[in-house]
Amino acid sequence: MATTTTANHAEKAEIFCRDESRVDWHSKALWLLRQKRDRAASSLPEWEQLRELGSQYKLHTLSHLGQYLEQFEANCLKQGIQVHWAKDGAEHNRIVHEILAKHQVKKLVKSKSMLTEECHLNPYLEQHGIEVIDTDLGERIIQLNKQPPSHIVVPAIHLKKEEVGELFHEKIGTEKGASDPTYLTRAARQHLREQFLSADAAMTGVNMAIADQGAIVVCTNEGNADMGGNLPGLTLHSMGIDKMVPNMEAASVLLRTLARNAIGQPITTYSSFYHGPKPGGEMHIIIVDNGRTKALQDELLAESLKCIRCGGCINTCPVYRRSGGYSYNYFIPGPIGIAVGAQQDDTNTTAWACTLCGSCTYVCPTKVPLDKIIAYQRRLKAEQGKLPYGKERYMPIVGKVMGSATVFNCAMSVARFSLRHLPHAMLKPFSGAWGKYRELPKAPKTSFDTWYKQNRSK
Amino acid sequence: MSSKSDILAALGSGALKPHPLPQVEIAPRLDDLVGQFEASVKAVGGTLIRDNALAALQQQVASLVADGQQVISQVADVRGNRATPEDPHALRDINYAVIQGELAVAENGAVWVTEQGAGIRIAPFICENLLLVVRAEQLVANMHEALKRVNLENVGYGTFISGPSKTADIEQALVIGAHGACTLTVYLL
Repeated sequence: MATTTTANHAEKAEIFCRDESRVDWHSKALWLLRQKRDRAASSLPEWEQLRELGSQYKLHTLSHLGQYLEQFEANCLKQGIQVHWAKDGAEHNRIVHEILAKHQVKKLVKSKSMLTEECHLNPYLEQHGIEVIDTDLGERIIQLNKQPPSHIVVPAIHLKKEEVGELFHEKIGTEKGASDPTYLTRAARQHLREQFLSADAAMTGVNMAIADQGAIVVCTNEGNADMGGNLPGLTLHSMGIDKMVPNMEAASVLLRTLARNAIGQPITTYSSFYHGPKPGGEMHIIIVDNGRTKALQDELLAESLKCIRCGGCINTCPVYRRSGGYSYNYFIPGPIGIAVGAQQDDTNTTAWACTLCGSCTYVCPTKVPLDKIIAYQRRLKAEQGKLPYGKERYMPIVGKVMGSATVFNCAMSVARFSLRHLPHAMLKPFSGAWGKYRELPKAPKTSFDTWYKQNRSK
Repeated sequence: MSSKSDILAALGSGALKPHPLPQVEIAPRLDDLVGQFEASVKAVGGTLIRDNALAALQQQVASLVADGQQVISQVADVRGNRATPEDPHALRDINYAVIQGELAVAENGAVWVTEQGAGIRIAPFICENLLLVVRAEQLVANMHEALKRVNLENVGYGTFISGPSKTADIEQALVIGAHGACTLTVYLL
């Protein structure tokens, strides 16, 4: 869904970057996750094999998706699970509301689901008089703070403990000034325990849906999905069609890589297989398209659907770490957010919030070619005539200059001369945004080409 | 057309060429499975008891019960003081749950618990402290081996539990005890 925000990525990043110490802290916190991920990955000699298997299983499933979805549904029905299909977010929300209304649900406890963010389910249900309680600690924090997630795995990563302490003091009555994470977590445990016990229904996202079993797998560290899912009689699970895997063996591969790549744990604390309603209860699964079949019409964009939402690409991204989750104009930030959401960014800038360094692709546990997809998203924008302001004018010129060796060498020679002989204050305007926070480089005496011919070429 | 047939029709024209179904051919690490398991349980914040585990568990539970703690046990030969209710909400004051696991995984310290083993699905989550029992011969190397043995037929709900519940959602500081059990002890028989 397109955002209504008009500020572009650079403008929003600039707001985030005003507090330099916070940027450093944010970047370090995420890099710590990357380091934990590296240790967990390197502890397995078969890590690269697992990445390749993850990719192959996903490609196989996506290229036979219709068949697996039908098999999954048939097996769910055998287990007494009710299955619903939704073309888009609006239909998903309608289905969820119908089920809840039928059971006169007043309070719904919900564990993490990026799909329900994508569909804007919470505001929809609230408009219909249903109270929605997000139960993942990070999600509860941002829900109380009236913010969207700034990261898909650690949604409150942008907040400091003092800010959480202040928020909890105001909303759930913790001591003023208290900011100890253990104290705050315990307080949230108590507060949410009451919510779990008084909820009329529970909802979760889905990490994997196993076609040949008719089972879904939900992974959490906190146990919030299972506290919710195992108390009230009614449970709902929303999944994108891309969550499908063929069998238990495929699930075993992803269960080995998901938590290792996300946070450096060998597995999440709970990996729960929901395979039927509890005695006397009801279990519903809502299968959602919302643009995924469209992505599958394009061979490269289709690969973005291999993603298992571990957040590894976000943690390693040098742009995300220094621009924050709210700069992307999409509910998923970072490389995967650009890969699946760039076309919905009406400022036409998030596709450029990337250095194409490829670190994301290198860490991805299912080998989503993120950097290739991001470059492709730029091409798609260019083909639609939607290049960011400025690029449309100068990129064709850059293209011509770089396309001709003579023109390029000539231009570089002028640049080297100017950098050596003209005052930098005069040249800076030509460097554009690049020169905003940088000094101009020292010019070498000759071009690399000339140097190479003199020194290396035989 | 229904949304289901719309979605299936749209999938019919997907751009991906058919990819074959892969297979896992990874040799499991079989050296010192118990040692691997012990290290993993410790790493995820749990405790492993492997010497005279059943006697240790019985003694522990007896003293908890004598102490007035609320203990629900689903393990034969271990007697708690609470019965399995029909309404899961009735377990809101449970201090300890003793549950039989069916499988343990060396690489990550996880124990596979089914609704049959738990007696009621909420039991391993709603208790303050969780005591899991698993037989040493049910120990496997990794998740591939584990899921080969998991049979979901007649199992409406099952979960791999690796350590006590935890979160790092406030400034990445690890806090043990989020929504599920705050401590986990595994007794290896």
